Amino acid sequence: MTDIFLILVGAILVNNFVLTQFLGLCPFMGVSGKVETAVGMSAATIFVLTLASACSYIVYHYLLLPLGLEYLRTISFIVVIAAVVSATEMIMQFTSPFLYRILGIFLPLITSNCAVLGVALLNINQSHTFIESVFYGLGAAVGFSLVLVLFSAMREKLDQCDIPEPFQGPAIAMITAGLMSLTFMGFTGMVQ
Amino acid sequence: MTALPALLNPILTLLGLGLGIGSVLGFIAKRFQLESDPIVNRINNLLPQTQCGHCGYPGCKPYAQAIAEGEAINKCPPGGAGTIRKLANLLNLEELPLDATHGVEEVPKVARIREAECIGCALCIPACPVDAILGAPKFMHTVIESECTGCDLCVEPCPVDCIDMVELHTQAIAAKQQDHLPCINCGLCIDECPVEILPHTLYRACDDENLELAESLKLQYCIECRKCDNVCPSGIPLVGYYQAAKEKLQLETMEKIKANNAKKRFECHLERQERVKVEEEVLREKRAKLAQQNKSKTSNQNIQAALERVRARKNEKPSP
Repeated sequence: MTDIFLILVGAILVNNFVLTQFLGLCPFMGVSGKVETAVGMSAATIFVLTLASACSYIVYHYLLLPLGLEYLRTISFIVVIAAVVSATEMIMQFTSPFLYRILGIFLPLITSNCAVLGVALLNINQSHTFIESVFYGLGAAVGFSLVLVLFSAMREKLDQCDIPEPFQGPAIAMITAGLMSLTFMGFTGMVQ
Repeated sequence: MTALPALLNPILTLLGLGLGIGSVLGFIAKRFQLESDPIVNRINNLLPQTQCGHCGYPGCKPYAQAIAEGEAINKCPPGGAGTIRKLANLLNLEELPLDATHGVEEVPKVARIREAECIGCALCIPACPVDAILGAPKFMHTVIESECTGCDLCVEPCPVDCIDMVELHTQAIAAKQQDHLPCINCGLCIDECPVEILPHTLYRACDDENLELAESLKLQYCIECRKCDNVCPSGIPLVGYYQAAKEKLQLETMEKIKANNAKKRFECHLERQERVKVEEEVLREKRAKLAQQNKSKTSNQNIQAALERVRARKNEKPSP
């Protein structure tokens, strides 16, 4: 139980995927313009990342390992992630058009979110069990969502501020992201 | 040669993985199939549904069909620049100015019959694409104003020119307020607002006429208490801006409802025409058949009988 808790805290705060490991920066900068879109992206990511880390665990341990094809893991994980994303999209479009409309374009965008692939590969590197993998994926996604929502809220506030011209737009966003990253460094060493 | 078997295993594995995933996806796609709204319908929903035919097509749906097949999007005068912009957004095309050969954008109008002059010829009734003219032959007609789309198709067939196109009485949108200083983002209005909207952000959205944004900024929550007006150091009449935006939104909603109605009525109109055509066809066939039967059976006898009658009368006449 404590193991899982430590994995969650480690993935959310200490080794935050965006601010400490610098994975998934594209959506972090891309969809953080408004809190609404950020929340949509977060929800989609939490769902897909958890599912994808479970699926990639199964593929790796029950298909690639027995056949001795560990070196194919990157390409097969990409295939699995893409499949999970498109399956999720189709099912969601059918069962919940409302949710589908909110998540909209973000769902397919997750395919290219490197945090998803990163979680799958790190699960293997750190030799997690199945349960641990799932919670590691969940933790990574929650951490991603946390900083994404925080960051978008800040950017919304920034839009209302009188920013010197050279810093407007992406420049101030980058500076903000850097400062956020610095603050998250404060968690270092809390969990090994 | 020795490399081949070593390669075969990974290739087969990946192939199998791909096939497995592909079939699962295919199954899901089949199981959760959703009939998507075809592009023609989406285009049609953006058109104003006046069914006026200014574009050169008999109604909005045929024009939508034509647009889907590559027709220019700037041939709809009733829709004007707004419709062109929406179409350009939907189809990812460039925004074009309205093609003046098909007419110019005008204020919305409705047809009105000068009832004293109407002779009851009923020629305007079939011309109306949305069946909004009420009347019968030799009786006065009238236009159901709430259903009229202002297409002016009924004006031309009228032999006595008793149909006028009159401007629809829409509420005039409040004009922009008097000059004032620009918003300085001081935030005084935020603290004042009793319903906790962001008055200065909302003001900017209203000023840009970005109604969608204004709505998402809770335009409708404003109770128009004018507290923000009173504290604004720039003297911006904020509530005036909100009222104008609200009015515009309401107008847009009403137009949307009306367009939806007109679309339905046009569809019913087409359906009825189709039905009448089929019924007439059936009736004509029936009559032709009957006539054929009668002809083959009795035509000769009838003629003979008639000739007999004529002869008998002729013989009768000179006798007295």
